[in-house]
Amino acid sequence: MKHLMKQLLCLGLLANLLLLSGCWDRTEINDLAFITGSAFDLSKSGKYILSIQIAIPQGGTGSGDTGQQEKFFVLSAEGSNASEAFELIQKKSSRRLFTAHRSVIFIGESLGRRGINDVLDVFAHDPRQRLRTYIMVVKGGEGKRILETRYPFEQVSVESIKELEGLDTEVAVTLRDYYISASSQGISPVMGVIEPEVNPQGGEKRNELYRQAGTAIFKDAKLVGILNGNETSGFLWAADRMKQGRINAVLPNGQGIVGIVLNATKRRMVTEVQGDKVKVKLKLQGKGSIVENNTHLDVSRPKNRALVEQVLEKSIEEQVRHLISQLQKKYRADSLGIGQELYREHPKLWKQLQNSWEDKFPEAEVSVAVQLSILGSGMAGPPLQFNDKEIIK
Amino acid sequence: MKRLRKWMRLQPRRIGEPAMPELDVNIQVSSDLNQNEQALHTIFEHCSDIVFRKVRHASGAVETMEWLVIFLSSLVNEEVIDDHILKSMISLQAEKKLPLEEFAETFLSAGTIEVTTNMKDIVRQLLNGYAIVLAQAEPAAMMVKANGTKQRSLEEPSSEPVIRGPRDGFVENVMTNMGLLRNRMKTPRLKMESVTLGELTQTQVVIAYIAGVADASLIDEIKKRVNRIQIDGILDSGYVEEFIEDLPYSPFPQIHSTERPDVVAAELLEGRVSILVDNTPFVLIAPMTLWAGLQASEDYYVRWPIATFVRWIRFLFIFIAIFAPPLYVAITTFHQEMIPTNLVLSIASAREAVPFPALIEALLMEIIFEALREAGIRLPKQIGQAVSIVGALVIGQAAVQAGIISAPVVIIVSITGIAAFTIPRYSFANGIRLLRFPMLFLAGTLGLYGIVLGFIAILLHVSSLRSFGVPYFTPVSLSSLKDIVIRSPIWARTLRPPSE
Repeated sequence: MKHLMKQLLCLGLLANLLLLSGCWDRTEINDLAFITGSAFDLSKSGKYILSIQIAIPQGGTGSGDTGQQEKFFVLSAEGSNASEAFELIQKKSSRRLFTAHRSVIFIGESLGRRGINDVLDVFAHDPRQRLRTYIMVVKGGEGKRILETRYPFEQVSVESIKELEGLDTEVAVTLRDYYISASSQGISPVMGVIEPEVNPQGGEKRNELYRQAGTAIFKDAKLVGILNGNETSGFLWAADRMKQGRINAVLPNGQGIVGIVLNATKRRMVTEVQGDKVKVKLKLQGKGSIVENNTHLDVSRPKNRALVEQVLEKSIEEQVRHLISQLQKKYRADSLGIGQELYREHPKLWKQLQNSWEDKFPEAEVSVAVQLSILGSGMAGPPLQFNDKEIIK
Repeated sequence: MKRLRKWMRLQPRRIGEPAMPELDVNIQVSSDLNQNEQALHTIFEHCSDIVFRKVRHASGAVETMEWLVIFLSSLVNEEVIDDHILKSMISLQAEKKLPLEEFAETFLSAGTIEVTTNMKDIVRQLLNGYAIVLAQAEPAAMMVKANGTKQRSLEEPSSEPVIRGPRDGFVENVMTNMGLLRNRMKTPRLKMESVTLGELTQTQVVIAYIAGVADASLIDEIKKRVNRIQIDGILDSGYVEEFIEDLPYSPFPQIHSTERPDVVAAELLEGRVSILVDNTPFVLIAPMTLWAGLQASEDYYVRWPIATFVRWIRFLFIFIAIFAPPLYVAITTFHQEMIPTNLVLSIASAREAVPFPALIEALLMEIIFEALREAGIRLPKQIGQAVSIVGALVIGQAAVQAGIISAPVVIIVSITGIAAFTIPRYSFANGIRLLRFPMLFLAGTLGLYGIVLGFIAILLHVSSLRSFGVPYFTPVSLSSLKDIVIRSPIWARTLRPPSE
């Protein structure tokens, strides 16, 4: 009996321990403000403006008239670094700001051009941050504007950008990717780009949307340029980031346009150093099937398919060549990671090259070889609307 | 006042002490009929159901023969007494006076007849529904079995229904129950040893096993523990269970109880020992393992792929039954980053108007659910429906609409409730339900860390638990997983259980 009492006493004391010490970081879900997206912009005085979008949970289930309610709101504060601005915003918010659900961080273009090192560090040091957060540059505008935009599909607008990035149609870069390539040798980081799109008809803000708009090229933590859509699709393949893609090519002799969907792509890069010259061979391989055929060709015929393949290969080659010349001549940034490849294949040579790589990269000789195989010709060989005589077999 | 106090103050009783001074019945049967009658009158004073029937036979030449037939009218079938005892006495055609034993052998047409000279036996068998026949000038008594109390007919057990499988269940009469087992196993190796327990109730307890299949040391251990029981009354096998289980403080049952004869038969064939107690349809089976709590008898009657699938569902839901509410509480109050964004927003929306912390909310709902369940069992059947309506509407809908409870908690609690009902053994499910509350507290104070701690504690407890020397987790070895992870086809199970 005495033994039992002692045991019970011990249990009681242990239970007290739970209640007295346990709940120190307990937070109810409705005491949190879920940040869905942040934006960094440059203020007129040269400081940073941090804006955050906070989701508003829709209170009161059941009652129908919640349609008019705001789904999110945006808070901003100016500070000399990221955490100062964050603290200022916290002072405006009645609920504790919770960053773990942030999906995107926007960088205003003007800030990007000045350099983003000062705002990035907080994401690496603060454990409340998530490295899987996407990071994007806002082309020709401020990040805050994107945050304020309403998007019709998602409850919280920034979620739509997360979904857009998840589609893999454009460059999608997370903080982790950025840190990896920024800290690696022989590669310059890139970022996705978003551009506000104003509907010319409606003057209202409601009609404002945004779209993915290419690739931001960074060099030394500064934005040096933005690739357009065409260059981006070349970049995706050349950087081996392509998951799926569409390619269109105009057949010679004005026969029309053929479009294919790529569903497997591969890139191989072979580097070679000959004396002072760096030679790079890019081999692009792709498999896809035809989804559009505006020509009179019957693409189910091997002969015609070979023709289409040839033309497509040519157009891709041109696309990639154009991209590489842009990177080499215009931006002088090795976003494809040619230096990294060199480092891997010829580590000793790289040691001599690495200091002068900035000058060597634009001089590197890059050859592009495309090998495309069309596996399917779609549901029909020739376009169905033509009669037999019109079709070129 | 004094009487009340006396009534309330219970007399402490030491183990080993008899319940009350025994009646002095250890006397020899006298040869004087009147003296015997007098003695029994005294013993059964104020017992209105005792009947003394004197029969005098005087047919011509022979001396007068005088008998006394005594029985308890509440226990016997009077037809048996009329047809097989009294009739043969009255219509007796005898040349000379017959001694009692010879008379019984020749003329009584009843099945079971015992002879005794001790009054103690007479009293005992009277209470078992025997009729006692005494004769003038003979110091012995014939005891004729004539019992015939009303009993319930065999019905499908309401606590363990099956879709496919035998539909008979045990009843309150231990003889019938033994018959149900004998019917299934027609072998003399099925042994049924009887002991009488309960100083006042004198309840018959039968220990059944298959000789040669059940481990001899297990049988000995069970007999030893059963014989040690000292109690005034045994009203259900639950009394016996509490006396003989290994660890009384565990939430897990260490002895399996069932109403189904087919389950008992199957367990006997696997070398276990069962304990039948008179006046209850619940039969105990020992030793029990954790897996027995998760196996329904129907598992063996449907085809094996289906049975295997159902088992997996049960394995999944036993975890849900313990961990779903704690996980919800832990994740929403400590680890909000673990929930997908869209889900966290919808949970946050649901919680927007709720004034309680998630822990209190979950506890409240769990307790209400338990109350509803309990009310559902205790209520008279006619108003059972009212409770379910009130429960479903008030708790499910009104509480959510009023913003007192959030909808996710209602969902979690109902899933948990359903999960606990998938556990086929009621007593095992009870243990699981009990564990949910400490887990909830751990989750609400320490988060996932607390859940892990609790899980480790449960695991440690279960793996150290033993039922009659058999570890609770028993047959988790590669060779015996055939009846745990999957229910292998019956024809593939060619090995007998080890009977060490």
